Amino acid sequence: MWAVLKKELKSYFLSPIGYVVIGIFLLCFSVFFYLTTITSGSVDLGALYYYTALYGLIIIVPILTMRMFAEERKNGTEQLLLTSPISIVKIIIGKLIAALSVIIITLIISFVFYFIVMFFGEPNIGNVLVAMLGFILISMATLSIGMFASSLTENQIIAGIITVAFLIISLFLTDISSIFSGIALINFYTSFAQGVISIENIINLALFSIVFISLTIIVMQRRKLVK
Amino acid sequence: MIEVKNVTKKYGKFVAVDNISFTIQEGEIIGLLGPNGAGKSTTMNMMTGFIEQTEGEIIINGYDIVKKPKKAKKEIGYMPEGVPLYTDLTVKEFVTYMAEIKKVERKTRKEQVEKIIEKTGLKDVEKKLIKNLSRGYKQRVSMAGALVGGPKILILDEPTVGLDPKQITEIRSLIKELGKTHTVILSSHILSEVSQICNKVIIINKGKIVAIDTPENLENKVNNSNTIYLTVEDPENKTEIITSQIQEIKKIELIKENDDGTKQYMIESNGDTDLRKTIFSQFAKENVTIFEMKKLDTTLEDAFMKLIEGGK
Repeated sequence: MWAVLKKELKSYFLSPIGYVVIGIFLLCFSVFFYLTTITSGSVDLGALYYYTALYGLIIIVPILTMRMFAEERKNGTEQLLLTSPISIVKIIIGKLIAALSVIIITLIISFVFYFIVMFFGEPNIGNVLVAMLGFILISMATLSIGMFASSLTENQIIAGIITVAFLIISLFLTDISSIFSGIALINFYTSFAQGVISIENIINLALFSIVFISLTIIVMQRRKLVK
Repeated sequence: MIEVKNVTKKYGKFVAVDNISFTIQEGEIIGLLGPNGAGKSTTMNMMTGFIEQTEGEIIINGYDIVKKPKKAKKEIGYMPEGVPLYTDLTVKEFVTYMAEIKKVERKTRKEQVEKIIEKTGLKDVEKKLIKNLSRGYKQRVSMAGALVGGPKILILDEPTVGLDPKQITEIRSLIKELGKTHTVILSSHILSEVSQICNKVIIINKGKIVAIDTPENLENKVNNSNTIYLTVEDPENKTEIITSQIQEIKKIELIKENDDGTKQYMIESNGDTDLRKTIFSQFAKENVTIFEMKKLDTTLEDAFMKLIEGGK
């Protein structure tokens, strides 16, 4: 697993993808820092993380995940990976954590905003950490969806579009219809942004990730039979 | 040892590989031969555990590839068709990554990677990005990836496709070299390659095994007529007279008259008798100079064509 994680993380930063992702993310943070914290004059950073999750993930997640398996399948490197003695589960987890690491790196950089606010008041570090914990969980859930989409096709663009479509539903369409409330990931994040650790939401987000990780595992194993 | 027992692979109704069985002993160099789309790659992909057979079993050194994939896969080094590589890594990074996913112990990893880079002649380019390498080097990198982890069996899918003649000879001698210490299975549709490298050939057509034998035996099998090419300097046209005295000759035909006055004949004889001796002594008696005399060998090519067409 470490081998895959290390290599994937390396290739994020060997190509521009890693930097682009961090760049876009920081841009989102900055814009929402201006729109929420500065305009409202509050020292609460919860809204900052909430809006970045809402608008940032929809761009970032497909960029991080669309190539995961689609590219390997297209280039045939999948054959190298799947004929090595490493298990499919470890490959999948390794890739997922590599993508998550890129987001975690950005979150660490986002401490900058905490330090900026410290000049003007006393922001609650607990709240920020809870918001970050939630951010990691919601990132994990959305990355799992993206990864699943990438395992379905050898076309990165299609993988990306499937991911975006799913994220639009689970992040934005929650108000339109109650049908989508079960997969409305952003609703699970609201409490974290308010600084509340909700066990229920942790379970919901974790469950969401587990379901899509499992689906990816099933797809990859099924492919052995049909390919 | 590899045992392939009654293996079938179906895609829906299409049968890609149809109930094939064979055994490969340790130390053999096997050529998997067949026209495009015969099922060579499918067979190899099943042997390496990349795809799963619909029926039958494949046992690699005692481990079933489906039931004990981890152990079975450790025994195999696989070089897939079209040499897929992680092109944004350097040669050394790639080989190291392969070592990691093949679970080479950390202690010996560095040393082994060095050794393999040396062995495959990649030392000069180890720090280059794979995407900047020529096709020949990429092939070597792929080979290095297969060799890492010390597998006993090497499965090479079309190892010389897309190379120039010099690179082909290099890769072939590398394979021969590796054949001394590994069991090698390679697929190819270049027959001369197989007859040069391999000591056993499996011919596949339309998903079925047509023949398993040594290249020599296969050549002999289809070699049923005895044909001799004869070039003589014969201004007095004695050839026809001489040959009419040899009873075993079935047919003689003048193929061409060369500019230097020599004539080339094709002589077919009955059955197994080799007429070269008789012809030589008879012609010598009559003072006709023989410039060249050679027996026409059936090549693996002929054997192949015959077997493939025989299957239709």
